[in-house]
Amino acid sequence: MKASQFFRSAPALLLAVTLSAQPSFEGPAPVVTSVPAEDQRLAAYHARVDEVLQWRAGRVDLNDIPGTMDMASISILLTLGRDIEACNERVLQMMAEPGTGPFWMFPAVCVAFTGRELLSPEARASIREAWRTTRQLRGDTENHWVMYYASLYLMSELYPNEPAETWYTGRSSEENLAEAREWLIHWMDTTTTVGQGEFNTTHYIGEYAIPMLFMATWAKDPAMKLRGRMMLDWMFAELATVSLNGVLRGPNARSDEGSVIERWNALASYFSWLLFGNTPPPSGYGGWGLYFAPVAKNYVLPEVIHRIAVERDGDYVQRDRARTRRFWRYSDVLSPPVYKTNYLRHDYAVGSTQGIVNDVIQAHVWDVTWREEDPRGKHPTMFSLHPHSSGRMMQAQFATYPEPMPVGVTFEGKPSYDSPDKVLGGSPYEKVFQDLDTVIALYDIAPGERFEHINGFFSKDLRDVTEDASGWIFARGGNAFLAYRPLAPYHWIPYLHYNGGWATVRDDLGGRVLTSPHLKNGTIVQAAGADEFESFEAFKAAMRALPLEFTLEPVPSVRFTTLRGKNVAFTYGEAPVVDGVPVDYSKWKLFEGPYLNAEVGGRKLTVTHGRLQRVLDFNTLTVKDSVRE
Amino acid sequence: MKLPRLLLPLFGLLAATTVTAAPAYDFYICANINRNYVIGSKIVTTNGIFQRTDEGGWRHFGYNDTSITAVAFDPRDRNVIYTTALNGLWRSLDGGATWRICNSWDMTEGREVAVDPNAPDHVYVAFTDGIAVSTDRAQTLVRRENGLPERGKFTQTIKVDRTRAGRVLAGCEVGIFLTEDGAANWRRVHVTTDTVNDLQQSPHDPKIWVAATQSAGALISRDGGITWDRFAGVPTERALYNVTFDVTNPDRLAIGSWAHGVLATEDGGKTWTSRNAGLPENPRVWRVGVDPAGRLYASVFQETLFHSDDFGRTWHPNDLAGSLVNYFFTLPKAAN
Repeated sequence: MKASQFFRSAPALLLAVTLSAQPSFEGPAPVVTSVPAEDQRLAAYHARVDEVLQWRAGRVDLNDIPGTMDMASISILLTLGRDIEACNERVLQMMAEPGTGPFWMFPAVCVAFTGRELLSPEARASIREAWRTTRQLRGDTENHWVMYYASLYLMSELYPNEPAETWYTGRSSEENLAEAREWLIHWMDTTTTVGQGEFNTTHYIGEYAIPMLFMATWAKDPAMKLRGRMMLDWMFAELATVSLNGVLRGPNARSDEGSVIERWNALASYFSWLLFGNTPPPSGYGGWGLYFAPVAKNYVLPEVIHRIAVERDGDYVQRDRARTRRFWRYSDVLSPPVYKTNYLRHDYAVGSTQGIVNDVIQAHVWDVTWREEDPRGKHPTMFSLHPHSSGRMMQAQFATYPEPMPVGVTFEGKPSYDSPDKVLGGSPYEKVFQDLDTVIALYDIAPGERFEHINGFFSKDLRDVTEDASGWIFARGGNAFLAYRPLAPYHWIPYLHYNGGWATVRDDLGGRVLTSPHLKNGTIVQAAGADEFESFEAFKAAMRALPLEFTLEPVPSVRFTTLRGKNVAFTYGEAPVVDGVPVDYSKWKLFEGPYLNAEVGGRKLTVTHGRLQRVLDFNTLTVKDSVRE
Repeated sequence: MKLPRLLLPLFGLLAATTVTAAPAYDFYICANINRNYVIGSKIVTTNGIFQRTDEGGWRHFGYNDTSITAVAFDPRDRNVIYTTALNGLWRSLDGGATWRICNSWDMTEGREVAVDPNAPDHVYVAFTDGIAVSTDRAQTLVRRENGLPERGKFTQTIKVDRTRAGRVLAGCEVGIFLTEDGAANWRRVHVTTDTVNDLQQSPHDPKIWVAATQSAGALISRDGGITWDRFAGVPTERALYNVTFDVTNPDRLAIGSWAHGVLATEDGGKTWTSRNAGLPENPRVWRVGVDPAGRLYASVFQETLFHSDDFGRTWHPNDLAGSLVNYFFTLPKAAN
């Protein structure tokens, strides 16, 4: 969304970027294969990187430098050693009006470093001068700070021993460097001990990966350089583990309307394509993805992560821990923990977060997403949510007053926030439990809340949707069978789509929203593989036969025997019980599953696939690869 | 000590002085004039500190910063300026030409800054997660939160009692806190269930303080902030954003509120009336302020700044279209 905002100031440029041919975006979906030979993997990776570089460089029109050259294209041309005079000219133009904040800082860093030996002294001086004259806002989210401090760190290293008056901070190079280093290490410590706040983000992943790649490439301090590389491994290992055929599905700490529906259409898919080669890249290579490309060849994806992405042994559960966005108010804890459950099978995946709402505007708490061989244009997902909108939750996580933000954010890249039929966002009135491919979402909405109903998303790509007399709604999605049980009466409304953060009109892309106008409410979803049953009818019969009891008063409560034979009891506000044993989230590890494992507080991640293992140890700053005999 | 003492009775002087054509004060605002700015978008206007000119216009100085929330000056030297903003606390020693970020990374989103007029090296800063203090003109800034709760210390406002060094009141999520030893120790003097959004000391009687709160209406203290009573005529069901005294008239106060617009009293708080005629319909008032001539200002959310010369009975557009004024601040006019 920030990318959209960035490009809004240069609509001609955006037009040029999106309308031109993009080979992998427009070509057939890649065939997902494991590439065991390192040289072949690397060659394929470099070919994808080159595709990005050549595509963006080819969009530059030297007769229209202001309209076709942004800082990404300058960096790419500098990397390719082309059109240096045009780069000089454009840098001087752009630095005459510097931007503010992290979304300007890291592109400027990219230009500064790719051009440090190629740009003219005047152009380089103009970049340096901008870092003196223009106050840079640090922002108020985790991704802002990663971009801000990685940028400040690298620029302070690039220009050492310079006095305070030459920096917008009023601090010397050494003071800037010390502050940036201290925060970056603090962030890495936090992430590797209690988890990331903005975990599994569909778009913000770039705002972590790109600064970390810059650190891994350009930091002079070998420790910080290694930390950057290790964080890249950490993030990409998680992306590989929780994506389905390259598509990052839910849960997502932060997402947007586009990518919670068209799950593939996210910057995360650019990284899956670039690193794993297992899904097409999004249009324009995701916008911000262009900043990864100039230095992408300085990162080599470990084989163990490649194999997790493209070669899975079978079904698996990954249970992890993360944390929320900071709660300035209305919470006993600054960043309470959240617990993630991901169950991935060949044809579909089910994921959810349990615990407190982690981001009031952009959280996507749970879904079932099925596999599409070509995910472009498909809406392969099913979920429900309470469309929560309130000033109080805004105040919890922002320094603001109760009134302005619920409407204000709709003009700031989050257009659906205050819409009753929205399909994005967390709610304090939603409690979710997941066991394998069963999800129970319960709602106990306080009377007087702005929206006193829940929404369930039913995709245009579902087939054979049947509202069964049993109360279940059956459907087929890809090779998955789906059963959706509303716990309160409902009606249907069309799904209307906000196409981007700055959309002012809504598009009817197909699909429906199940709206249930009842404060005490719930959804049960059970997924299964089509190959598990002789027919869709057999699946329906099996579902109808499952024991199910529920009540909505005094609070929603469900007792259900899942398709996998688990006896589940879940009451709103209480710990779920599975086969008579309450789930104790406090014992969850930072990562626990066949591929990723880490202890809370451990600063160490073990990445495993088959006989391959990589251990990222931030205690000792070591990376250890091993192969089991 | 002499110079600060001269400046101490600032509001008393102003109150006693008949306003003349050449006012003996400077009037500042902190304004964001970049409508719907989000991090990453281009700043296309000038934001930050504005000083009202003798001609009635606004002169910007210092950095262009959309996130500025408050400003304070060293009473000994007008060139020493402090501002709170998204990054924390900024300080200039040269009248706004250059600035230095004063806080470490673990302090963010400064809400308000206050300089102790009786100990001008001492600077108090309200943050989203507590309070920090400097004793060396913000060269160093440390947290001083003994007595504040572990949670509930979101601090929106902080004000120094002009009568005694080290006596400071802070408006937090869970109430009003008082220190009498320069923030070495805090104690809660009034409990609220939600944030105290503004605190103001009367320019007429330093024992009188008022508070604007999110859910407890407006409060008044007549004993220097020790005990608080609610203004009966002020509604409590919606948030009040700020409150201001009229330095020319001890019976006048005004409140700014998104939901209520401008509320005003001219009888010391006994009765309150809505004063929105001439403002946009359903005015979403962000801040009110009174200059030392008694002109009342209202910043309407992303509309413009309005002024009234009859304490809100009639309003007139002032300037700064698309603005959001976060702070009004008055100082005796700087010596040439």
